[in-house]
Amino acid sequence: MNFSVELAPKHPCGLLLANPVMTAAGTFGYGTEIEDEHLFDIQKLGAVVCKGTTLEPKKGNLQPRLVETASGLLNSIGLQNIGVAALIREKAPIWVKWRVPVIVNIAGETLSDYAKLAMRLDGVAGISGLEVNISCPNIKAGGAEFGANPDSAAAVTRAVRKATSLPILVKLAPNTSDISRVAVAVAEAGADAISLINTLRGMAIDIHRRRSVLGNITGGLSGPAIKPVALSMVYQVAGVVDIPVVGCGGITTAQDAIEFIMAGASAVQVGTASFANPSVFLDILKGIKQFMQKEGIKDVSEFIGVVSG
Amino acid sequence: MKQIIAKVISNTRILKELERRRALKRPQPRDVLGSYLLWLDCPELTPKAKPGQFVMVRCGGKTILPRPFSIHQVNNKGNIALFFAVWEDGKGTNWLSQRHIGSKVELFGPLGVDFSIRSDSRNLLLVAGGIGIAPLYFLAQEAVKKTRSVTLLLGAATASQIYPKNLLPSRIKTVITTEDGSAGKKGRVIDLVPEFIDRADQVFACGPIPMYREMYLQRRKFLKNKPTQVSLETVMGCGRGVCYGCTIKTKKGLQEICRDGPIFDLDDIM
Ligand SMILES: Cc1cc2nc3c(=O)[nH]c(=O)nc-3n(C[C@H](O)[C@H](O)[C@H](O)COP(=O)(O)OP(=O)(O)OC[C@H]3O[C@@H](n4cnc5c(N)ncnc54)[C@H](O)[C@@H]3O)c2cc1C
Ligand SMILES: Cc1cc2nc3c(=O)[nH]c(=O)nc-3n(C[C@H](O)[C@H](O)[C@H](O)COP(=O)(O)O)c2cc1C
Ligand code: FES
Repeated sequence: MNFSVELAPKHPCGLLLANPVMTAAGTFGYGTEIEDEHLFDIQKLGAVVCKGTTLEPKKGNLQPRLVETASGLLNSIGLQNIGVAALIREKAPIWVKWRVPVIVNIAGETLSDYAKLAMRLDGVAGISGLEVNISCPNIKAGGAEFGANPDSAAAVTRAVRKATSLPILVKLAPNTSDISRVAVAVAEAGADAISLINTLRGMAIDIHRRRSVLGNITGGLSGPAIKPVALSMVYQVAGVVDIPVVGCGGITTAQDAIEFIMAGASAVQVGTASFANPSVFLDILKGIKQFMQKEGIKDVSEFIGVVSG
Repeated sequence: MKQIIAKVISNTRILKELERRRALKRPQPRDVLGSYLLWLDCPELTPKAKPGQFVMVRCGGKTILPRPFSIHQVNNKGNIALFFAVWEDGKGTNWLSQRHIGSKVELFGPLGVDFSIRSDSRNLLLVAGGIGIAPLYFLAQEAVKKTRSVTLLLGAATASQIYPKNLLPSRIKTVITTEDGSAGKKGRVIDLVPEFIDRADQVFACGPIPMYREMYLQRRKFLKNKPTQVSLETVMGCGRGVCYGCTIKTKKGLQEICRDGPIFDLDDIM
């Protein structure tokens, strides 16, 4: 059976994963933590996506940063990260030794932030690709998310494209009125693949204290609660772009992952589910293999997007 | 760290429900429905477990996040005990309290940093507010093994919330206080500290943040500059240092409670 998937078929070097199961940005640190734990063999993953990285280190938001909601998790971490310089200095040398490709998730507040990040990471050994998080507020445009409209999403993609020769995934935000148009714009602007979805904006209130639970007032919703939304967005986007799509949002079981692949995803990312079950990735991978065996499927590509409109 | 499925050896309610609103005469958003002593068979975990460390328990039911619990006791048969309060509408703790003998519980650990007993500390003072006895019990056991002399100050709202005397660790001195005076001395556990501090070489505390704050603000009275370690709590996502959900500011910079803690020097966090 062939589990490998190509995420950047239009890129000269490509981005070939040994299997379609990846980690989701911000839920797996830098991948280096789990190595110290000897919990499972990280090399068995399709790819590792690291914590969202900014030009300068970020301290993140006030506590509380997490709150469990019905079938979901609200987080307002605030992009706490060590910054691009420390990432290149401390993490990339570890990644060089890995077989599993590492994709660096980047985040900025201006177009030039994104361009600078892409430039700094270009050619750094140990990095196989970039994932561009466009769910960040565009400071110069009054704080609206870059990903909220096709023009600004395309502008970020172009800026990154120009600055790096690495394969780029652009990660779409669900907080937009028309995700298909954003996806098409991003694809035309030179993205090698599209990943989706990032968290949905949400909120929880402590009725005894009469204030928002999260220190940052609002946060991003993840987990099973967002799965149907994510699935339909993957389905929609896969129908309008001709580049690979990576599905993410509430994936907890192999069945969930297979649903996303059938909706059109070439690979999946798992985040929240790994908190309760740190080795969930391998459980999902095993489940996909069993499914393929039972159904007589020889290659993952045989069932990518089989559910189509 | 290991991720395992552990068999429940016993799960007993050892403290009954606390009607806090009545007992404390001040508004409490949530009541405690009882506190349980849960013994789990996990020989994979016990060799590495140290006092102050915790485990993350996947609680099933409608929970999404695993729940952190201190390692309360370890025995030489490869078992660990958790001691946990069940919160009114607490999804995870209610689920956990309903696990019967022989059922399976998924968990991973041991996690975090342990309490550290200095090599020159002879006399240890342990200060437990309410459920705060959870990690201090294990510490007391280990300290006794290392031939230290241990005094445990144990405080609770009312007599029904005091850890059963027959279950307390042996070979330590225990002093009890209750806020309503229904058992031991009347008052808060922290008010007992000055009486015992002179003899102590090191202090270890587990209780609510306001207790730590008061200890720190009046450290001359309470602590007389004795080195003090405390256990901190926040909501946790991963428990393994990968989500940054539990980050706090300390004098040493940003730290993750799950990885750089949960045990901290009191001076560093205030
Ligand atoms: C390192 C550490 C060790 C702990 N050790 C113990 C122990 O030994 N015994 C014990 O009774 N309790 C302990 N706690 C607190 C315990 O984790 C919470 O009481 C428990 O998570 C509540 O879960 P619930 O499902 O009943 O509540 P819910 O209200 O359903 O919980 C919702 C969310 O909030 C979190 N949460 C709620 N209260 C707390 C809290 N006080 N601290 C951290 N997270 C919380 C839950 O984990 C969950 O993610 C510890 C906490 C930490 C951080
Ligand atoms: C604690 C936490 C931190 C996250 N940090 C980032 C981040 O830095 N960059 C990013 O693009 N997405 C981030 N995400 C979003 C996830 O990568 C993912 O898109 C989302 O959680 C949905 O997937 P899930 O339901 O499997 O968690 C974060 C999610 C969580 C829960
Ligand atoms: S709980 Fe995830 S970093 Fe501490």
